[in-house]
Amino acid sequence: MISTLWRRTSGNLGTVLLCLGTLTFVLPFLFTVVTSLRTAADVARSPLGFPHSLTLHNFTEAFGQIHYGRSALNTLLITGLSCLSITVVGSLASYPLARLTQNWSTWVYRLFILGTSVPIFVVVAPLYLLMRDLDLLDSYAGVVIIYTAINLPVAVFFYTSFVRSIPVDLEEAAALDGCGAFRTFFTIILPLLRPITSTLLTFVALQVWNDLLVPLVFLQDPDKRTVMVNAYSFIDPHTVQPTTLFPAALLGVLPLLLIFVFLQRHVVAGMSAGAVKS
Amino acid sequence: MFHRRRATMAAFLLPAIVIYGVFMLYPLARGVYLSMTDSLGGPIANFVGPEQYRAMADDPAVTAALWHTVLYAAVVVVAQNALGLLFASLLFRRPKVRKALSVVLLTPTLVSPVMAAFIWSYLFAPEGGINALLGVLGLDSLQHVWLGDTSTALYAVAAVNVWMFAGYSCAIFLAGYMSVPTELLDAAAVDGASGWQRFRSVEWPMLAPALTVNVTLSLIGSLKVFEFPLVLTNGGPAGATDTLTMLVYRNVFGGGKFAFGIAVSVLLLVTVVVLSSATSSLLRLRERRI
Repeated sequence: MISTLWRRTSGNLGTVLLCLGTLTFVLPFLFTVVTSLRTAADVARSPLGFPHSLTLHNFTEAFGQIHYGRSALNTLLITGLSCLSITVVGSLASYPLARLTQNWSTWVYRLFILGTSVPIFVVVAPLYLLMRDLDLLDSYAGVVIIYTAINLPVAVFFYTSFVRSIPVDLEEAAALDGCGAFRTFFTIILPLLRPITSTLLTFVALQVWNDLLVPLVFLQDPDKRTVMVNAYSFIDPHTVQPTTLFPAALLGVLPLLLIFVFLQRHVVAGMSAGAVKS
Repeated sequence: MFHRRRATMAAFLLPAIVIYGVFMLYPLARGVYLSMTDSLGGPIANFVGPEQYRAMADDPAVTAALWHTVLYAAVVVVAQNALGLLFASLLFRRPKVRKALSVVLLTPTLVSPVMAAFIWSYLFAPEGGINALLGVLGLDSLQHVWLGDTSTALYAVAAVNVWMFAGYSCAIFLAGYMSVPTELLDAAAVDGASGWQRFRSVEWPMLAPALTVNVTLSLIGSLKVFEFPLVLTNGGPAGATDTLTMLVYRNVFGGGKFAFGIAVSVLLLVTVVVLSSATSSLLRLRERRI
């Protein structure tokens, strides 16, 4: 009797501690939100104190300083196009890689997988020279191509292992009915790829939206800059001002965060499923 | 008929091969070549053999950066996976709160490294959140210039990395937990095994594949870390948080030592490939033995 009571209380206590532990992970966010709504003088007086008055002034300020409207549109455009390009090119490639089991196709597959462990830093300098020679610096197309190339290994890996798990019977029946490779892919394979595509898109959208290096190096034109680049160039490491930093940080993550609140279930499932299958 | 079909299928590979070949494999090969030249990024480049690598070996900044990178990765891999595992095993035992809390834990993962670094640069600032919190708690003696002291800066930067990705490790461990057969857990419970015993002899071995994935992912991720040191410390104080990626960036885009920077990037590639393949094959071996 006493032991069950003890077990129950300790179990509840554990849950409470667990909730508190988890809360510390979001505490920096809550702190960020509250601080960005306070005035600079108020924060300077007591960083952790209760806000005396709330203001949206910091947000409007940051909005203008990081050219938010323009840069958010740029980021959205680049992220959207990259996602589209990666899914199209990646899914097309994975069909033959999964179905044609010849020597050369295994080789091509291995070559793609090799790319998963190549850091972008290794190719960034020669890539810069290449883009300069191809006249693709400062263009959305150039950045989208780069994102496609560096994310293809992951896309090929995801899609190929998924297509391999689809039984071939359906395709054979379609082939006997006179379906070519094109029609088979678009009418049979592609619709089946939907779940793995949402996983992949979660992964890619996060990568591209949040990336700093590629737009920093390949987009010099101020009109084409992304949110991350503008936010980065706006910080001054010597005077860390929370009331200017935090609104900028929140504005940078807001669109993506909003999307993920709606797609929450897919995001969590996707992020963990994709990893464990490997 | 099937022959033509196969040819059409093979043609599906073309866009991927072209993009991957031209914008990934070719720059990779060119980078290895350029690291053996005296290139400044312009059209003129003379082949000089392993000259840059010799200069790299003599440069204490490179040795220090390599050490920082490896130390940083070790701290992140251990701390992030330990935290992730702790949360996952606690959450696994509490199905009621599992879902909600795992979503909460994942939110930092959705933030960009730049923005995470923004937030923490203030929290770590001398007059910032952490020192203020310590003051409120009456722990003034623990107050510290976290990012400005050579002995703490690297760990402070690593802590931000851990904060951001511990939830991700937790999600992967939780997915691993879901593959543990319930009969096994029930059998252990019937045998009267304590919580710790159940973890030690049933769950931990069953989590081996999840551990392999987690360690490999966090290792590769932390070896290529860039935004955190860039935004939080810019390599300082006194180079204490200079990593290989920081050296590559600085030399290639501003140092005037283009070929040298590329040679450092090749060193980074070798480090990542050697460490990650050694770790993952060791962990795979372990999986088989269990």
